[in-house]
Amino acid sequence: MNMTPMIDVVFQLLIFFLTVSQVSRVNTEVLELPRLPGAEDQQTTSLTVNLNAAGELIVLGEKQSMSAVLEIARERIGSVGGEASLMTTTLRVDRRSSSRPVNELVTALRGLGITRVRIGVESPQ
Amino acid sequence: MRLSSHKQRSGETELPMTSMIDVVFLLLIFFMVTTSWHQAERELDPGIQVRESAGDAAARDLEPALVEVRRAPSGPVFRLAGRDFEDAQALTDVLRQFPNKTEGAVVLVSDAVEFDAAATAIQACKSADFRAVTYMPAGDL
Repeated sequence: MNMTPMIDVVFQLLIFFLTVSQVSRVNTEVLELPRLPGAEDQQTTSLTVNLNAAGELIVLGEKQSMSAVLEIARERIGSVGGEASLMTTTLRVDRRSSSRPVNELVTALRGLGITRVRIGVESPQ
Repeated sequence: MRLSSHKQRSGETELPMTSMIDVVFLLLIFFMVTTSWHQAERELDPGIQVRESAGDAAARDLEPALVEVRRAPSGPVFRLAGRDFEDAQALTDVLRQFPNKTEGAVVLVSDAVEFDAAATAIQACKSADFRAVTYMPAGDL
């Protein structure tokens, strides 16, 4: 058996799947995030809520109303055993957006018992 | 030790194109994967808190570092201990002088400012080594 082409093919497949998994992870809403150094590297999250410059909420690539976002958040809380404090929520907010929808969202999440959020920022190079 | 010298005897050099193409594709994919098309994202980690009642001055006085992010005619300002800062670096420098970092900082955000200013205030607290930063919606400050 010729091992050289076999190893080549295995590497090709490995890199292909690495690429695909990375693309699926960064395939989030295109927003102009605040350009700040941040505090820590990105971690896995239970729920990511995007908020664009117009103040629209976008979850999983679709515009959602506040009540729909809260319904999704309730489902995610259920998936972590009903313990809202275990939820890791990431807010990706366009830096040009008003703080009003952010404040409304934060207040609503607080009402569900979600007390910890992460705010996505764009590291300046 | 015997070494094969078949190719040297024949005088012809063979270039295996299949392996060459494999390597070229591997390099191409490697550079495609490692090239960063977007700015790297990081995260700020504040807790969230909702002010239950307004005007609780006594309780607010106990909070060690309270940064208000509010709109002024010149743009967003950061108010800390009665002083207004327009520059994030100046705010960070003052926050660094707070002796008690363990009790955290509170960022009170007006509805009227852009979110960029709120994130800047949170970053200033994080940069000043406050362990916990609480984001508190403040309505119309």
